[in-house]
Amino acid sequence: MKLISMIPVAAVGGLLLFAAKDFPEWGAVDSPASQSPVSSHFISHTGVDTEVPNMVTAVLADYRGFDTMFETVVVFIAGVAVLAILRGSGRRGSQKREFEVDAEPDLIVTNTVRLIVPVIQIFAFYVLAHGHVSPGGGFQGGVAMGASFILVALAWDLEVALERFSISRCMVVASLGIVIYGGIGFLSMILGGEFLDYAELEKVLPVSREMARYHAMLGVEIGVGFTVSAIMFALYANLSSEGRLKGGL
Amino acid sequence: MENAIAWIFIFPLFGAVACTLVGMYNRKWCHPISVLSMIGATWAGVETLIKVMNSKSHELSYLLGGWTLDQYPRGVGIEFRADLLGALITLVVLGVGLIVSLYSKIPVEEETPGKESLFFTLFLLQITGLAGITLTGDAFNLYVLIEVAALTGYGLIAIGSNRAAAATFNYVILGTIGASLYLLGVGYLYIKTGTLNMVGIREVIEANALADSPSMQVAFILVGLGILIKMAFFPFHAWLPNAYCNAPTTTSCLLAPLVTKVMIYVMIRMVLTVFGVDFSFESTLWTKFLPWLVVLAIVCAAVMALAQREIKKMLSYLIVAEVGYMIGGLWIYNYYGLIGSIFHIISDACMTLCLFLGAGLILRKARTTHFDGLRGLFAKMPLTTSGFFIGGFSIIGLPPTCGFFSKWYLITGGMVSGRWEYLIVLLFSTMVMVVLFFRLIERMHLAVSENGENLGHGHGDLGLTEEQTKFEEGPLSMLIPLLLAAAVVLVIGVYNQDISTQIEHFLADYDLPRGIEP
Repeated sequence: MKLISMIPVAAVGGLLLFAAKDFPEWGAVDSPASQSPVSSHFISHTGVDTEVPNMVTAVLADYRGFDTMFETVVVFIAGVAVLAILRGSGRRGSQKREFEVDAEPDLIVTNTVRLIVPVIQIFAFYVLAHGHVSPGGGFQGGVAMGASFILVALAWDLEVALERFSISRCMVVASLGIVIYGGIGFLSMILGGEFLDYAELEKVLPVSREMARYHAMLGVEIGVGFTVSAIMFALYANLSSEGRLKGGL
Repeated sequence: MENAIAWIFIFPLFGAVACTLVGMYNRKWCHPISVLSMIGATWAGVETLIKVMNSKSHELSYLLGGWTLDQYPRGVGIEFRADLLGALITLVVLGVGLIVSLYSKIPVEEETPGKESLFFTLFLLQITGLAGITLTGDAFNLYVLIEVAALTGYGLIAIGSNRAAAATFNYVILGTIGASLYLLGVGYLYIKTGTLNMVGIREVIEANALADSPSMQVAFILVGLGILIKMAFFPFHAWLPNAYCNAPTTTSCLLAPLVTKVMIYVMIRMVLTVFGVDFSFESTLWTKFLPWLVVLAIVCAAVMALAQREIKKMLSYLIVAEVGYMIGGLWIYNYYGLIGSIFHIISDACMTLCLFLGAGLILRKARTTHFDGLRGLFAKMPLTTSGFFIGGFSIIGLPPTCGFFSKWYLITGGMVSGRWEYLIVLLFSTMVMVVLFFRLIERMHLAVSENGENLGHGHGDLGLTEEQTKFEEGPLSMLIPLLLAAAVVLVIGVYNQDISTQIEHFLADYDLPRGIEP
């Protein structure tokens, strides 16, 4: 069986290698991707169009912001789907699993976590808010934020973390993230542009069209951060405890 | 309405979020929210189709983010392009979604109690994904939306029972492989063309004469293979029957008519808009060998359908056979075949919807999925079984149902292009479907068991007792959508000329051989 499954793998791998001989040189100036008007527009006009120094963020959150909105929706769906599958499936509610041990939270671990969780969270905010200028943005910041809650759950146990960030609160925050992202897009449509045409927000913000795009990008990154951080933690809480939301790893 | 296209996804997207938020306080609100957002989205879909039909070029371009074509190069932003094909299929997706959302109230409450808000959230996001797929004009955005539709699909199937969760696992693995192959193909396309916009890609292919480039050939194979896996084309169909059988009723009613059909739409879109007719049909070998695979697919699926003893399993194999029809219609490379293929997407969505809605009602009453539990059902539920069989007649291809007209075009295409093997399997599988449905009709009308023993006690002509003839239709909220779907099957059949005219308008832009004029 293993051998049979190797055949399609080898076939696809061979195809990919076969195609690679036809590729443009690595980093060649005359490759279609560098020659196309699209990438040269990104390189020469990002600053003019959006005032954002970080080109990647501008492509991600503005030029192709619609993709990013649905990537956020995908993260949201992952959380909803896991919740939908696992809720109520934990019939062995009180029964302990073999990997669960009754141990007091370790003194050294809990005190270290006490110290570093605030630092992680502030760093998460920094990564989120600084996405325009340096690498970072909503996804990365959101993951760091979610990780801080997972750390609490690991150092004490799941209940302690859930007291601070319950699953229903997770879902509210995650939905709010989508509402923020979609809402900014919707608002720009109501103000007379296309969906997600941030420039139209100049009518409600006291800034130029370009700066409106700049600020709206921060707004949508915050929306992404909301969804990602809440779903990260909700996924961990559900998966580690098989939907029972107690004990866990 | 200036932004009709945008409203198509705004309604279900915000409706889904509202379901999550409102559902925490009161689960009863989720169903009305989903029905309202589907009504809104369908209205926007109708509006879009009317606008497309009235516009001179028969297409509508909507640049998300305001990166308009007159100020910025094509491909800088993401484009939604509704042409006649896209707008028609979008309307099919939204219409099916609306009917299923009306139907869903009782089955969702019964089968997944306590999870209504999660269910309707996933339901609406599924529609968002599918409607987006049919409208987008960007190859990467298409991938993102396929992901949205696939993930919600996994959730909607696995929400039911533990068996459904096991079936979903197969679906997750195969679906992921399909999506990854598609994504790899899009990556190759980008390397060779430098753009992700569908029309932009075709312009570069034609301008740079990329038809003979090996990496473009590989990109075509990867994209095509990925889509074939996603649409459950015969050798890759293994995930479909189990997933659809074990899924909750509402899920199978939504996914069965739409998912495979939307993926066939994607393949037609890839062939016509992204790679172009010349590249797809002339420079690749697909026209040579794919029709033969189709022959194999239809025969095998039809035979497997014949072997099933459960309604939903049988219907699932019928879907696999129907996928073969449409892929065949596309790859015999003929004008009439392609009309048939597109028309069949529309009519197959309607008739599969009709069958699954009917099967849901029948199974709810009979409490068994096995054929033997269905004896004498016609006397108890005349309306339900009639609705179910209108769908069945359409699958067989009896006039005046829509299935007749789309199959007519497929057969014409097979004939004028000289693809006799395709023609023969079409007729063969039609025979199989006649056997399948008339076997069911016989069982539902009679109460006599197989060895001739009368199960009733001699009352009436058909051997039905009074108790067996008691009128026991399902609840109205489920029955009316079924009758609506059956009416749609008949209405599309009656107005088939109008739909095929629109498809002909759409295909006028493409240079396809017409074979010997019929």
